[in-house]
Amino acid sequence: MRIGADVGGTFTDVVVLDGRGNLSTQKVPSTPPHFEEAVIQAIGAWLGSTAISGARVREVAHGTTVATNAVLERRGARTALVTTKGFRDVLELRRIRVPVLYDWFFQKPRELVERYLRFEVDERILADGDVQAALRESELWDLKKKLEQEAVQSVAVCFLHAYAYPEHEMMVGRFLRKHLPHLTVSLSSEILPERNEYERTATVVVNAYVRPVMRGYLSALRRNLRRMEIEAPLLIMQSAGGLTPEEDAASRPVFILESGPAAGVLAAATTASKAGLPNLITFDMGGTTAKASMIEQGRLGYHSEYEVGASLSTGSRLMGGSGELIRAPSLDIAEVGAGGGSLAYLDRAGGLHVGPRSAGAVPGPACYRRGGREPTVTDANVVLGYVRPGPLADGQVHVDPAAARRAIQDRIAGPLGIGLLEAAEGIHRIANTRVMKALREVSTERGRDPREFVLMAFGGSGPIHAAGLAEDLSVQRVMVPALPGLFSALGLLYSDVERHGVRSCLLAIENLRPREIEQLREALEKEMLAWFRRGRYSVEPVQLAFSVDMRIRGQTSEINVPLPGGPLTPQDVDALCQSFEDEHERLYGHRSAAGHTVEVLAVRLVGKAVRDRTEGVLQPLELQGETAPSRTAYFGSRWGAIDTPVVTRASLREVTQGPLLIDEYDSTIVVPPATRVWLDDLQNVVMEGAGSHQ
Amino acid sequence: MSTRDPVNKTDPVTLAIMQHALASAADQMALSLYRTAYSTIVRDCLDFSTSLCDAQGKMVAQGITLPHHIASVPFAMRTLLKKYGQDIDPGDVFILNDPFDGGMHIPDIFVVRPIFWKDCRVGFAVSTAHHADLGGRLPGSAACDNTEIFQEGLRIPWLKLYRRGRPDETIFALLAANVRIPEMTLGDLRAQLAATHIGANSVVKLIERYGPETFQGCCQDLLDYTERLVRSEIASWPDGASSFTDFMDSDGVGGPPVRLQVTLTVSGDTLTADFSGTDPQVPGGINCTLSFTTSVVAVCLRAVIQADIPNTAGMFKPLRVIAPEGTVANASMPAASSMRGITGFRLSDTVRGALAGLLPDRVFAAGEGGNSLLIFGGKRPEGRPYVFYELVTGTWGGRPDRDGNDGLCNPSNVAGNIPVEQAESEYPLCIERYGLVRDSGGAGRFRGGLAIERKWRLLAGDSTLSIRSDRRDHRPYGLNGGSPGAPSLSERGGVDGVEILPTMISTSIEAGDSVYHRLAGGGGWGDPLTRDPTAVARDVKNDKVSAGRARQDYGVVLDGAGQVDPVATAKLRQEMISRFGRGSSA
Repeated sequence: MRIGADVGGTFTDVVVLDGRGNLSTQKVPSTPPHFEEAVIQAIGAWLGSTAISGARVREVAHGTTVATNAVLERRGARTALVTTKGFRDVLELRRIRVPVLYDWFFQKPRELVERYLRFEVDERILADGDVQAALRESELWDLKKKLEQEAVQSVAVCFLHAYAYPEHEMMVGRFLRKHLPHLTVSLSSEILPERNEYERTATVVVNAYVRPVMRGYLSALRRNLRRMEIEAPLLIMQSAGGLTPEEDAASRPVFILESGPAAGVLAAATTASKAGLPNLITFDMGGTTAKASMIEQGRLGYHSEYEVGASLSTGSRLMGGSGELIRAPSLDIAEVGAGGGSLAYLDRAGGLHVGPRSAGAVPGPACYRRGGREPTVTDANVVLGYVRPGPLADGQVHVDPAAARRAIQDRIAGPLGIGLLEAAEGIHRIANTRVMKALREVSTERGRDPREFVLMAFGGSGPIHAAGLAEDLSVQRVMVPALPGLFSALGLLYSDVERHGVRSCLLAIENLRPREIEQLREALEKEMLAWFRRGRYSVEPVQLAFSVDMRIRGQTSEINVPLPGGPLTPQDVDALCQSFEDEHERLYGHRSAAGHTVEVLAVRLVGKAVRDRTEGVLQPLELQGETAPSRTAYFGSRWGAIDTPVVTRASLREVTQGPLLIDEYDSTIVVPPATRVWLDDLQNVVMEGAGSHQ
Repeated sequence: MSTRDPVNKTDPVTLAIMQHALASAADQMALSLYRTAYSTIVRDCLDFSTSLCDAQGKMVAQGITLPHHIASVPFAMRTLLKKYGQDIDPGDVFILNDPFDGGMHIPDIFVVRPIFWKDCRVGFAVSTAHHADLGGRLPGSAACDNTEIFQEGLRIPWLKLYRRGRPDETIFALLAANVRIPEMTLGDLRAQLAATHIGANSVVKLIERYGPETFQGCCQDLLDYTERLVRSEIASWPDGASSFTDFMDSDGVGGPPVRLQVTLTVSGDTLTADFSGTDPQVPGGINCTLSFTTSVVAVCLRAVIQADIPNTAGMFKPLRVIAPEGTVANASMPAASSMRGITGFRLSDTVRGALAGLLPDRVFAAGEGGNSLLIFGGKRPEGRPYVFYELVTGTWGGRPDRDGNDGLCNPSNVAGNIPVEQAESEYPLCIERYGLVRDSGGAGRFRGGLAIERKWRLLAGDSTLSIRSDRRDHRPYGLNGGSPGAPSLSERGGVDGVEILPTMISTSIEAGDSVYHRLAGGGGWGDPLTRDPTAVARDVKNDKVSAGRARQDYGVVLDGAGQVDPVATAKLRQEMISRFGRGSSA
């Protein structure tokens, strides 16, 4: 019996899979700020309804936003930062970049550690390891005094060049752990041994800041699970997609910040692999944002850096600086501020805009009649006939088409002098344009041809917009999995225990001695296997995947290239260069010219303890209320308003021609005219032809 | 769609979609350029821009890149079309850096790729990048004490770098032979070429989807729409005129201060910026082209309008910029201009000073006065030459409702800093200090941002050193009763002790020498005696303001625990008001 529990801002979803592959689900409102309560409630409710003992639960896999929320709401621990003398402002100065142009009132976010809690220590190691100023113990006693005076709870340490020469940081770590054992101590060389002081400092600071919060949360959760006789391992989803044991999540929470979105991508990857699809673009559209990622030849995309709390309105990958920077591996997910709740408005010259401002859960879209007056994307979808009037999900929300029509007529159609349907379709299409930015970012902008990919749509709004987006992106096939609203919770059940390791270096490929790479590789492997042995997964076979970060000397952009197994031969090195050049050409349209040196910057290792899993058969959830056999839906000026049949997923028996609306528990799948749709053996709705007709 | 917006030819939805698509294409060009560039000036300081133009060369989108390039494209496109007219074929690519032929200054190379669809010209993809070296007198091709353009590096008038898809090897060979580090200059040039290729492809795809007529219609509508937005905004301002005068410390060659003056006039829906009264062009390399001066005004206009405006040439139409020829704001041949960036920043300060007279609630006090630029050039121990561009930037002045940002890029710019660990790994330098300077922000109800200081030590070999800085004698102004920020400072430390260097200088250093630079601090906004005493106490706790200056500038008295002593504070403030009428100016 395995449990997956995904905590979102609005709902907490729990899915339970028994040994025979039966899947049951629980959806309860989230309980901020004590998020663990909803998890316990949902699991308790399920145990109660089935009269099964908690002792039979084999594993609890959990995705949580507790760490992210602590950063966003500035509710972390009282944290100090210890730096090299002369550099306490590195955290505050950031990369100096201003994330928005032409805004004289931009306010830099306040640092997680204020200046008076940033302490300099007299020590200095240079880039080549030369110790210019040795760290004396007297400095550490002074530091201890200051930390005590300020009643600090958590400490982050980041010294210059500690990614390669961690000795001084380790001294501080040993000293503080011995003399101030109640403190949690996070060392940059342990969390992120990579070059560039701001990125490393920011990352270790976030880790230190959320560590006590995470520890408290997990121990409360564990206590409550015990009360239900659940002693099974508690595994937490990481930003990079694998699960990690609770102890690790408690000491390195910076690796689990993006827990939620990662699980959805994993669910998509697993669904695709079962359906035999190697190339996938995932598209997850909820109330406030849309997220996209790419899976190529079954491989997930990763990136090494992102910002928590960055303003979605700026969304420039060039600049950054509006959120807290994290340099830790995460699934490469592009996000834009466009969801069902995104507001539509006109500027003073009559330009129509959608988002990134959102009506949120409160007041919500006008059609929910919870006080929202401004039109949203969901209102447009209601006017277009895509969204079912009446109760949604478990009936907490009621959709009123008259309110949606009023909002769009008064605020958009009237002032622009266009028809109501045209205005609604305009809002829908402009929202699509914004979503396209995320979809392009993970496909065409990386030199990938979307025609070779399937678009997998989930989240409440994903299935409504998917077909239109597929056409814009020239994607041939769209897939909407079963239970699209519970997808992230399912992803938790589809994951393995995983750990990421990295070692920085700076090696020119032209006179590379394979031994240099081998040494880094051996060190990483030794550390990794030791970690798995210490954990509860030592009996499982551990899969190791090595890769290297490469770049052309002088450039800043790195490309990650898989490293072949076994001892490194000169042919392997040539093959590495070849893969690097191929990817460089795909990304930027040209290869490096002769005379340029290619460098290896880091060796990376991903270790995975693969287990045998039973996976469930997914059945659609029941709809609330009655469904009319058809609705009038508007499909643009080309097709106009059409009386469109409405069906449920279960009733979709054979290949059918659009237009069609497939109403679901918490969403609708919109099948435009001239699109074929069918249900595959795995309960996925598949649409085709969306990208080919014009 | 059947109904049309009464003003636009295109329906509003298609127009919005096209606007997004063009902006996103320009951003994608920028991202590609950034990721494949070699020099620190491009990849870390982001001194480059990308844009797309319609068939007539009118800019319809600019990437989220350097604001101060914004008005340069129209000037460049005008001279390109004048020179080549009908002699523009598919596969051609044009190159330019000559400031007297539509460029901005020698280091900025323009690469322009005309875009064709079925043999019909439909637009242009443009990239502009500051090159770390284009030859000339000193490494980095930029020096304040260059006195004519011929010292500044290779001067390239509009030329065809590619003819019908074939590279002109003569130009490439000439470039390679005239620059100090050919692989860096040609590498950055290749990044520019690739970026324009990406832009051109994006436009072609849009035309395939929407057709050439819709595309052209959208371009025109976007220009008109931008113009309407800007005009309606200016029309909402009160009519009137406002003048402001400020000075740069030096003319670049150790000469007298340089006067910068502007008069802004709002009349109906147009804004005129008249730089009459600004000093004649100077001997040093800090003279601006009219295109650059126009950019400065456009950037200020763009920012003071608090609405989202598409970056198109339409925004320039309600704007009139007058700068008499032969002034530092509109230099003539053969003026040197490689270091004119500093003048641009200072012209921005001047324009903002004038804007404060028209729209006092929307303008902040002067910031650091622009990036300070330090260029180190020499050879690594193993003999490979290097040019290391360091930008020290930036801090903001106090604002009408909040403090200036401590340590944030000047808002006319998008530069970043260079990581200490990266610089130390790549160059024979050690950085000994990088941080904020206490008591350097101008006092005010809203405090000016603190200055930034940085200190380098040369570990091996000799190095040339060019410094471009300002704001030492003429400090960043405060507004509405705020005090000016602290002055800038540069020092060289060697065996003979520490020596103060001028704001603008070209010199050299030896192994073991140190170089120290401190920016000016931001000016304050409003009377310091009205600052919230708890904000002062917080600044003292964070060691941003000393307890002495808390008393002297803000009239705030703290107790032994660092808390505000309300009684003593009220008393001191009362005394100060009766003595000075306001807080003492620092």
